[in-house]
Amino acid sequence: MSNMAPHGFKQDMPPPGGYAAIRFQRNLPTRGFSGVVVFGTVLTVCGLGFYRLGQGNNEKRELKREVAWSRIHLVPLLLAERDRDEYRRSEAALAREKEIMKDVHGWEAGKSVYSTKRYTPSNVVVL
Amino acid sequence: MAEQGRDAIFLDKPYIDPNPLPSSVPHVDELGVTSAPLKSASFFIGDYCKEVNEDFMLCKSETRDPAHCLAEGRKVTRCAADLIGKVRASCLKEFDAHWQCLENNNQYFRACRKEERPLNECVFTNFKLRKTIPGTPAGKEQIHEKKSPIFTTQQK
Repeated sequence: MSNMAPHGFKQDMPPPGGYAAIRFQRNLPTRGFSGVVVFGTVLTVCGLGFYRLGQGNNEKRELKREVAWSRIHLVPLLLAERDRDEYRRSEAALAREKEIMKDVHGWEAGKSVYSTKRYTPSNVVVL
Repeated sequence: MAEQGRDAIFLDKPYIDPNPLPSSVPHVDELGVTSAPLKSASFFIGDYCKEVNEDFMLCKSETRDPAHCLAEGRKVTRCAADLIGKVRASCLKEFDAHWQCLENNNQYFRACRKEERPLNECVFTNFKLRKTIPGTPAGKEQIHEKKSPIFTTQQK
């Protein structure tokens, strides 16, 4: 035989034209969006959300300052009213004290218990 | 009193002293305005009465004695009463709408922009008083002039 090797056996060879390609690739249908699209969407949504959050925080700070200044503008007004009331009550208390203690020798009505020139409001309220 | 960290509120007896102010102190009508109208007019009071308010607070910084700043305090109260009267005379409808909105919305400014804009406009055209919030970042519109705010009655 012509294709017999000289040493008497037949060499096993691939078929003519070679073997068919081995199908190792999975043939699953592609479903859904690609990874790039999913990651991109998530990042975009998160980014927009954080941006909005930042805007909201800025706005909250402004709203707080608005309230604070509204109150600051009212402080003199409220303080003035309260001062008048406190003055009226303290004068009345002083008059009462003078009347009650008029017979006690050496009593100084309205004298503070503190030895200071600083204003010290009365700690006692007489009802 | 407040100096002790608590208000003069006693549960068993009301804290009432019927004695009037001494006659040496000139009389001034107390404002008698509740919190919502005051809050509504606060920025106009701050603008209109800036001089007397600052004068009073400077006086108060000298000493805390209530007798020390009675004259300045009277000016403050008269000025505020004057302004409230003026606003009520010229912008009663807008003013009422705004403070009633505040009253009904937990006194949130942000819930009442719709009522606030006509009031601001009316007060500006009549008295040239403008609501300005100090400390707004440069170049930013003030929060009460913002076109589409995030926070109104609900968060958007």
